[in-house]
Amino acid sequence: MKLSDRLLAWARLKSPWITIFNSGACNACDIEVIAAITPRFDVERFGILVKGTPRHADILIVTGPVTKKQATRLRRIYDQMPDPKYVIAMGACGATGGVFRGLYHVVNGVDQVIPVDVWVAGCPPRPDEIIDGVITCLQLMKEDLKHGGREWRTKRTSAPPAAPPEVTA
Amino acid sequence: MTNGLTAQEVAATMNEFGLVDQVRSNRIRIVTPLPRVREALERARRVLACDHLVQIAAVDNRKSFELIYHLTGPHRTVLSIAAEVPRDRPEAPTVSDLLPPAGIYERQIHDLFGIAFVGHPDLRRIILNEDWPGDEFPLRKDWKPRPNVFYGGVPEEAK
Repeated sequence: MKLSDRLLAWARLKSPWITIFNSGACNACDIEVIAAITPRFDVERFGILVKGTPRHADILIVTGPVTKKQATRLRRIYDQMPDPKYVIAMGACGATGGVFRGLYHVVNGVDQVIPVDVWVAGCPPRPDEIIDGVITCLQLMKEDLKHGGREWRTKRTSAPPAAPPEVTA
Repeated sequence: MTNGLTAQEVAATMNEFGLVDQVRSNRIRIVTPLPRVREALERARRVLACDHLVQIAAVDNRKSFELIYHLTGPHRTVLSIAAEVPRDRPEAPTVSDLLPPAGIYERQIHDLFGIAFVGHPDLRRIILNEDWPGDEFPLRKDWKPRPNVFYGGVPEEAK
């Protein structure tokens, strides 16, 4: 690894920049995210900065079940982020669609549109859970650096399940 | 602040359009045939000072659709003018030229219920996604998503 890469990785882990995208949420998650970035919870002590544009962000926090109208826009925003990029899906809606699952206007979860790295459970998740999600994401970044990319995580899921061991007497 | 309209006042003006009924203290309902809706709205605006369209409600009661135009004015009484739209011919005259805010409600109803408003200048999609199939209306009671139909969102190959 070159020195510049090491410096970049160090800076990214010290200060991940996040951007928040509402993909059709009921606003509860958004309010909790806003609460998380206010001084009471104060994510800046971890160096986490909220950015207004995905082009400056390392982590994308997506709230909501992703409506069909927002799906293409979410994809476009994800494509604009510089690599390496990480996605946190917020709440029950972000994971499966939540109470909106199966409705005519949603695609049932963020992972239907873009790859998700961390899911934060809750409806809505508390601000400290959101901070925990971001910290988990940072640890994931560290692991990815060790493995030289994110493939080590995706490979395991895409590989066919191993055949059950033969039972011998 | 003027006093509210009474059912008698409304009945005196609107009786020829259909049944006038006071459903609540502040709400008077008039059931009128569909072709006379424009006339009724115009009369309510001119005579009863109902110059403010609160909303247009669309109801699917399975046998037919019902459009309910909620009007109010400085008297603060809500006049609900209801008209039935047949299911086999979902068409209604537009009122967007009488009451311009009606245009956007008519676009929404056209999008979700498939009621065409004849004479509307621009009946484009407004709520559903752009790639939604043109002949499906999700707020109709008999609508069910069909399998193997792409209803928009992100197509498989883009994932």
